[in-house]
Amino acid sequence: MGMLLSYIVFLPMLFAILMGLFRVKFPILRAGAMLSALLVFALSLYLTLHFDPAAEGMQFVRRLPWIHNYGISYYLGIDALSLVILLMTAFLMPLLYLYMWNYEKQGYWYNMLLLQTGVTGAVLSLDLILFYLFWETMLLPIFVMIGRFGHGMNRFNAMKILLMTVLGSMAMLFSILYLGYEYYEAHGAWSFALDHLATLSFDPKTSIWLAAGFLLAFAIKIPLLGFHTWMAPAYSSAPTPSVVILSAIMAKLGVYGLWRFGYGLFGPTLSYYEPTIVVLAVAGLLYYAIHAIMENNLRRMFAFSSGSHLSLIALGIVLTNLYAWSGSLYFIATHALASAGIFLMIGLLYRRTGSVHISNLGGIASVAPRFGFLFAFFALCIAGLPGTGGFVGELLIVIGAFHEGIAIGFAAATTMLAAMLFVFWMLQRTVFGPVTRHTAQFGDLTTLELLTLTPIALLLVVTGIAPSLFTPLFEPQLQQMLQTLAQTVGGAS
Amino acid sequence: MTLNPESFLALATLLFGIGAVGVMSRRNIFVVYMSIELMLNAVNIVLATFSRLHPDMGGSVIALLIIGVIAAEAALFLAMIVQLYRKKRTVDSDAFTDLAQRRLS
Amino acid sequence: MTLQTTQLLGWILLLPFTGALVLGLLHLTFPRTRRLDTFYAALGVAGPVVAAALGLKVLYAVASGADVTFRQTLFTWLSVGDLKIGLTLSADALGAVMLFIVTFVGSVIHIYAVGYMRGEKSFGKFFAYFNFFLGSMLLLVLADNPIVMFIGWELVGLASYLLIGWYYEDPANVKAANKAFILNRIGDFGFISGLGLLFALVGEGGFSFADIAAHIGSVDPAMTALVGLLLFVGAMGKSAQIPLYVWLPDAMAGPTPVSALIHAATMVTAGVYMVARFSFLYESVPDVGLFIASIGAASALLAALFACYQSDIKKILAYSTMSQLGYMFIAVGLGGYSAGIFHLFTHAFFKALLFMGAGAVIIALHHEQNIFKMGGLKEKMGLVTATMLVATLAISGIPPFAGFFSKDAILAHAFASGHTFIWAVGVATAYLTAYYMFRLFFVVFVAPPREKAEPAPLDRTVTWPLVVLAVGSAVAGFFGLPEAYGGQNWFAGFLHLPDRALHLGSGEEFLLDMLNLLVASAGIYVAYRLFARSPREAHDAAAWQTMLRHTLYVDEIYEALFVRPLRGLSRLLDRVVDNRIIDGIIGLTVGGYRVASAGFALLQNGSVRWYALYFMAGLCGLSLYILQNIGGE
Repeated sequence: MGMLLSYIVFLPMLFAILMGLFRVKFPILRAGAMLSALLVFALSLYLTLHFDPAAEGMQFVRRLPWIHNYGISYYLGIDALSLVILLMTAFLMPLLYLYMWNYEKQGYWYNMLLLQTGVTGAVLSLDLILFYLFWETMLLPIFVMIGRFGHGMNRFNAMKILLMTVLGSMAMLFSILYLGYEYYEAHGAWSFALDHLATLSFDPKTSIWLAAGFLLAFAIKIPLLGFHTWMAPAYSSAPTPSVVILSAIMAKLGVYGLWRFGYGLFGPTLSYYEPTIVVLAVAGLLYYAIHAIMENNLRRMFAFSSGSHLSLIALGIVLTNLYAWSGSLYFIATHALASAGIFLMIGLLYRRTGSVHISNLGGIASVAPRFGFLFAFFALCIAGLPGTGGFVGELLIVIGAFHEGIAIGFAAATTMLAAMLFVFWMLQRTVFGPVTRHTAQFGDLTTLELLTLTPIALLLVVTGIAPSLFTPLFEPQLQQMLQTLAQTVGGAS
Repeated sequence: MTLNPESFLALATLLFGIGAVGVMSRRNIFVVYMSIELMLNAVNIVLATFSRLHPDMGGSVIALLIIGVIAAEAALFLAMIVQLYRKKRTVDSDAFTDLAQRRLS
Repeated sequence: MTLQTTQLLGWILLLPFTGALVLGLLHLTFPRTRRLDTFYAALGVAGPVVAAALGLKVLYAVASGADVTFRQTLFTWLSVGDLKIGLTLSADALGAVMLFIVTFVGSVIHIYAVGYMRGEKSFGKFFAYFNFFLGSMLLLVLADNPIVMFIGWELVGLASYLLIGWYYEDPANVKAANKAFILNRIGDFGFISGLGLLFALVGEGGFSFADIAAHIGSVDPAMTALVGLLLFVGAMGKSAQIPLYVWLPDAMAGPTPVSALIHAATMVTAGVYMVARFSFLYESVPDVGLFIASIGAASALLAALFACYQSDIKKILAYSTMSQLGYMFIAVGLGGYSAGIFHLFTHAFFKALLFMGAGAVIIALHHEQNIFKMGGLKEKMGLVTATMLVATLAISGIPPFAGFFSKDAILAHAFASGHTFIWAVGVATAYLTAYYMFRLFFVVFVAPPREKAEPAPLDRTVTWPLVVLAVGSAVAGFFGLPEAYGGQNWFAGFLHLPDRALHLGSGEEFLLDMLNLLVASAGIYVAYRLFARSPREAHDAAAWQTMLRHTLYVDEIYEALFVRPLRGLSRLLDRVVDNRIIDGIIGLTVGGYRVASAGFALLQNGSVRWYALYFMAGLCGLSLYILQNIGGE
């Protein structure tokens, strides 16, 4: 059991290294990649079965000293927060491989494998240096995939996302190093383990600056309003599987980081930033949605939609009550599904018509009923239709927001209006309406594509109809975290 | 008249100054080369002076070493000047600005 | 109140949803085949009909027992903290009545749709949507807590969206569907805000209607009023009241059975039902109630005025629906919940009938919708004419048809509650209702025909449902026969809603009824004089009439006030805020590097002599520093 998390993290990378060493042919490569993804998925399910939702703290902990002199350790562990994101990643990866089954660019497959290791590693690592390493590991494959396999102004956009995110992570690295140094000052030994660093206490001013380093990295990754200009260009020129990962998983790591490290390390300090984050999140929620209205490029449109929803998730996290937190965590998962679905559909659109521009599309429902149905379904999931998982998350966040105050409640409820602003007009011009020159030869979904998309759609429906199946997995731990937080905040003030 | 160390140091400073000004202001590479030699010799004087001042032969040894190196260097330097001259048919140092920042396209 | 668990409700809910699922999957698997159409029709109709039978059983059981509530918890939908939302269905008297209306009228219209939609492509998809709508509506009606109600509320909106945009090849229809959904969503924003606030106020004690009712008393009345207002915003959207009504006329872009079921009989009345469901909340905030009644009265009058100037048969009926909904809101706003629900009940019959009759005319005349191009249909379509006459009499409030009793109940309640102005508006609307409905009737059926059009023969599945509903329209009123006529208002007694008790003498009520009858007759007479002989679609009219014909340009005003600015803002955000300001700030840093690098690059001139100068300068600086700070001791 102790090695389980390590297997989950490093299996994809191991496969990549082995297959790279033997320079395997493409069919073996894709089979290997798929095998690794399925293995990781199976292991994650096994992990979930043995996961104890009621237990406090981290589980399946693996802690080995790594660079002894500086107290850097190989320290993995999982709790409800990371479990949800891990499951999402493990669930989506095989489907992404299925999507790119006939895509013969080998380098792309290697990058995907590396990316999975980076993402899961970042989610599971509890040592800050280790976290930082994985955090950067997941950025590089994205950079390569956009720069080498993307389209549009891919080089420029790849550079933009790299520079902006590196700017954030540099600030975070500085904060991490300073934290380690502080620990050395206090205890005479270095350590970067989360649970060690969480015991440190600073004067408020230092703490505010240290938190700023982390928050900058997460704000760029989410992205909060004002830190977002990398988003639309990167989404529009990245190839589809990377877009899915960007929106469904990597952006979630921004809010995950805010949660794990923001509240894990700077619980009391974060109240200093809460008003700012609330304002940015609420403003972003509407800003992105309004921005998306006139967007002609579908990828950019849903990039903004993604930004809008992540702002809502960030809002839920800073509200710090059980409803908002459950809602945020639930929404992290369901939004990942919905955006994966919609971006995969957009990718299929691109395959068929060579265009992702709304002005070229129309009448898909007439020529390809199944495609039209699923496309509309995922779009409506994005719009938070009841009966799909997204609604549950939104509902919980809205309820949590009203618990904090009427004004915030109204602000959060605008999410009901935000997505519909662009989703319905978009549907009108793509799925419905007369058939255009580009869509006249539109083929309906093939079996392989159906196989890729239906699991996502089904899971979205299940999460919408019976959320009570999933909430017990994380509710007790969230409650514990909130209690701990309340104690530390109470102790500090 | 006794020679006090200050006068040696003054001479060395003077020589170094002349050499430095020469390097900076003259364009003929030969003259630049000679100016460099002047500066090196100024350093040699300082080394020898201090070696004498503190009873420690280390300074003198290094001075001797430098003289040896200068000799080797002279050969190299003259060869390089010949090469430079072959390239551009001039010994004007301002002609050799190939490493200058060029405006990017 | 006694609780009784039952399996019936679950089956009632499941039947239409299962139908929708099976039909939808079949359609998606064989999207182009026509061979399954008969099977689709049978399957599509079977679910609602069985549900209606079960619904009738539930209604009978509720009516025969004394104050029984049926309840069934299917499973726990969500449980986080205090928020424990069960997918619980319950049917008290109000719920059972709504259940009956939805399933009964629903099945009749399903049968009608078989004939109406015959030959359309995607026949199976239509019934999938239709069943899906019915299931969602049942979820709304049977919900035991407001969250599940909201889920149903949204899903009926989705079904409505899909069905309004049924003929989606024409962008105008899709636009109408979008308009409907978006305006509904604006209402839903109010609804969900109200729910969020309500949960924050009383959530600890559970969140079913009964729990809320038990705890609402301890809440600050200002907050209760705010919740009431917010919930009503949701009703405004769904039930097409001012200012969110503009979607309803456009919603007529859908096929006629859709208009009959969704935009007349069931979905649009959900707002009224919701207010009645929350009657325990509204009875404590009469000011909000007065606001609701005022909105209702204004909507009733405005819609009636618009209806007088329309020439599209379905739009006339759409405005009429909005007007009748206004009546219902007058009633529930002033505390006459039973009266409102009673009008909802009768309205479901006669308005569905009107739409179905209109639909019969439309398909008979090969999709002609302008009433001034019809005429003289009474010889050729006798059955349709007769049933339409019944419905028209009912909506105009002519005794003994259903509308007379329900409208009378509302107007009497308004009069007795002392809000004479609202009552007067109601009476004026009654006049207009009789006028525009008989204008329609005379022009379409009585006046001499304009063009020689031979109506196509109608299917039996189209005509028989008309008869069923005509019977309903004729007799449904007797369920609520008021005391003034020797009845005992069985309907209100059965519903058990917290009606505001008002007393009105039999004589007074009799007088009021005479007045209503008088104005209705006046309306009919005027319509007869103007339209029975030689109807003319007046074009040379005064400015205010032109305004009314264009429905006061509300659409254009909304477009100019909301849609265009929003689009403009979106462009502004893209081109100016993102590209100039935010990227500009980021660009400043980048530009700063560029400028600095250009400056430093000047130093790099390639001349060795200059480099030597830098050397020396650096050396001097360093020496100075050493002298000053380190050597100086």
